[in-house]
Amino acid sequence: MEQAKISAYQLFVLIVMFTVGSALMLPLASEVKQSAWLAILLGMGGGFLLYLIYHGLYQYYPNILPTEYVQKLLGKTFGRVLGFIYILYFMYLAARVLRDFGEMLLTFAYEDTPLFIANALLIIVIVYTVRKGIEVIARTGELLFVLAGLLAISGLILIIASGVIDTANLKPVLEKGLGALLKTTATQTLYVPFGEVVVFAMILPYLNKSEKAKRAGLLALTLSGVTLALVAAINISVLGVSLLSRSQFPLLSSIQMIQIAGFLERLDVYFMLTLIIGGFCKIGIYTYVAIIGTADLFNIKESSQLSFPIGLIILLLSIIIASNFSEHIQEGLQIVTLYILFPMQVIIPVLLLVIAFFKNRKKNNN
Amino acid sequence: MPSFFKRHKRKKIDKVHNNKKEQTKKEDSKENSSQNAAGPLNRSLAANLEVIKQKTGSSPDVIIRRLMVGGGPPVEIAIGYVEGLVEEQSVNDFLIKSILNNDDIEVKNGEEILNKIEKDIIALGSIERVNDWEKLFQSMLSGKTIILIDGSSEAISANTRGGEKRSILEPSTQNTIRGSRESFTEAIGTNIALVRRIINNPNLWIEPRKLGTITQTDVSVMYINGIVKDEIVEEVRKRLDNIKLDSILESGYIEQMIQDQTMTTFPTIFHTERPDMVAGNLLEGRVAIFINGTPFVLLAPAVFIQFFQTPEDYYIRSDIATATRFLRVITFFISLMGPAIYVAATTFHQEMIPTQFLLIIAAQRDVVPFPAFVEALIMEVTFEILREAGIRMPKIIGPTISIVGALVIGQASVQAGIVSPAMVIVVSITAIASFATPSFPMAISIRLIRFLFMLCAATFGFYGIVLAFITLLAHLCGLRSFGVPYMSPLTPFIPENAGDTIFRRPWWDLRERPRLIGSKNTVRKGNNQKPEPPAAREMSSRKGDGDEI
Repeated sequence: MEQAKISAYQLFVLIVMFTVGSALMLPLASEVKQSAWLAILLGMGGGFLLYLIYHGLYQYYPNILPTEYVQKLLGKTFGRVLGFIYILYFMYLAARVLRDFGEMLLTFAYEDTPLFIANALLIIVIVYTVRKGIEVIARTGELLFVLAGLLAISGLILIIASGVIDTANLKPVLEKGLGALLKTTATQTLYVPFGEVVVFAMILPYLNKSEKAKRAGLLALTLSGVTLALVAAINISVLGVSLLSRSQFPLLSSIQMIQIAGFLERLDVYFMLTLIIGGFCKIGIYTYVAIIGTADLFNIKESSQLSFPIGLIILLLSIIIASNFSEHIQEGLQIVTLYILFPMQVIIPVLLLVIAFFKNRKKNNN
Repeated sequence: MPSFFKRHKRKKIDKVHNNKKEQTKKEDSKENSSQNAAGPLNRSLAANLEVIKQKTGSSPDVIIRRLMVGGGPPVEIAIGYVEGLVEEQSVNDFLIKSILNNDDIEVKNGEEILNKIEKDIIALGSIERVNDWEKLFQSMLSGKTIILIDGSSEAISANTRGGEKRSILEPSTQNTIRGSRESFTEAIGTNIALVRRIINNPNLWIEPRKLGTITQTDVSVMYINGIVKDEIVEEVRKRLDNIKLDSILESGYIEQMIQDQTMTTFPTIFHTERPDMVAGNLLEGRVAIFINGTPFVLLAPAVFIQFFQTPEDYYIRSDIATATRFLRVITFFISLMGPAIYVAATTFHQEMIPTQFLLIIAAQRDVVPFPAFVEALIMEVTFEILREAGIRMPKIIGPTISIVGALVIGQASVQAGIVSPAMVIVVSITAIASFATPSFPMAISIRLIRFLFMLCAATFGFYGIVLAFITLLAHLCGLRSFGVPYMSPLTPFIPENAGDTIFRRPWWDLRERPRLIGSKNTVRKGNNQKPEPPAAREMSSRKGDGDEI
């Protein structure tokens, strides 16, 4: 673990940028149509619970990384195996987000550029930043947060001013019933993006005031949940259900509807900025966490030594992960959620928390 | 997190360093031994004068005047000084004249005459005794006058510093509309006095030292005791003491030797030629480094946002100051990315340009044989050449270059179809914007990075620009100046100090000094300083409802 500290505000910013990051671009909970924003808000509620679980574990071991405390909880061998599995999980998700990012970028702006080049450029910038450590990541995140905030506010004003919002598109609410809504929440929005906050279990030990972790995390989840729900609601009300279901990137389609004074139009650059900033933060955090986890597990003193190799692995993984975009999406919806996200984000942390509870109670009794 | 590669390099560097250190030690000891050979002064005046002659190579500007003093057996004394470094008037009036007027003193030997001269005769404020050669030469060459007496192994050095100096003029690089018109000169004494005149407080402390093994340049560290952070002063001392250079000719020498990080184009130490700016920064807890021979004073630690602030921001109303600061941030972005955005938009993202505008640009670019990037590069390089030539040109032919520049860039190149008019506009705006940045080193660093941005834009369009921008942010966030994060108080965000960044809160509300820089005494003023109009005159006032009438 490097000797660096981040403030509660920086943690807040990182969580917001991470959760909003790529989720903003993707169609979230498209099955429930008009109620997507409800599914996101429900997912946020679930996200609170999950965050409290990770936070509970952090309370037991506030100064060491999860890769270290799983060894205390499960014993050296099992702990190391589980730690290693988590590192693989972080790297795999980094690669997945990178693939999403690259495909999106190529689809809407650079049709003729090879995927490898687009991904490689981003990963170079990420490796450069990550090598400098968590402090620099957090500070860069702070500045990008301001930039993203300005983009979001000005974008919102532009969309409202251009008069394309039709709230009638939001009705009927709960068309498919409460059951479908709950099902979508439990199978999708809970994990992406809220359950992904499990990476912050690796970053919480860097916090300078540990008592502020809970408040910062929950506030961050609230902000990102509300933002995502608002964006989903705007997308539906601007595009309508039929256009939305056919649109690959709903946010892009919404932005393209902006037309003001015959001059402010085709603001694709908004989407592009959001995409790159979000992608950078999300992949950056995954990469950083994979690096410190590996360094911790294999007792490597200078964790920045690992940034090039792990960056390269993530880059290659993002290319070989699927042969085309539809396969990639299909995998994501059918396999990843159930067999990777669910156990890694929910089951294992819950079990760890239970074990930690009993272990520490025993200690206290003695 | 120090990186893999850096660590290895550092080892090598350390090795080299150690070797060098050993070498310099050897050299030092050699030098010392040669100087030690001179050692303490002789008792005989003739021998002493011979040594002076030999050491200075009989340079004609070293003036030695021999006098006879004493009513008993006359004792020979000699007055030595360097012509041009001393104020001849005071040497003549207060030394030579007063000694000659008192030549009937009755003394027996050299020691007594020394005492007599020191206590009774010299009419100057600052004198001291010297008894070894090193000190003697040092004081003589820094403008003091030496009095050697036959039969005494001690000499008197009297402060007669003076000589020709440039007078105090208006600042030539950091101009303001409102505020002091003084700027520093090349003389360190004058410069220090200029700041002392502003801050009349005994806590304004000055630490002198000599740097440069050959030049022996006067360098002074100035800070306000009680406001400055002790660690920062200690760090400045340490870094200055580590300097092993033969010469210090300008503050830039020291700046480059004491900065935190060398792998950056951004200035991490501030320099100024305005005394009011030095005073303002001292009051924020910074340390000033004065160097003899240059009107530029160094200020450390420096933060990024400081390079976009002028002293005038603090003199004018806060709303106006905030507006101008916003303007400067905009010019920062224009001068960084102006041409890059134009290149990206015309090369990759034509669909983002409004149709009418796109048609105009397309019509203009129709005759231009180059891609937008090459076009931009030609214009930017031409502009940089003009700018550089403008500095070097003799002032008399200055107008020539502006005419040639305007004609070549503005008209002929467009008519010849080498560049499009739109590009001329973009490059001109960028050029003007880059000069709106108050700090020259910051502006030039931005200009350099602009070319990188153009390259990124030409290869990957907006994607390249945004990635370059994120890299730039990460780079800036990783910089430090004397341990203070370069981007503070923007990030790490310090709410108490955010009122003096892109905004400038009014003085009655600006309570805190920068936290990471000065820590001891953070509060600048008392509570409730907001000026209020007299209550009775206001319509909404509670008290005045007709009571007074």
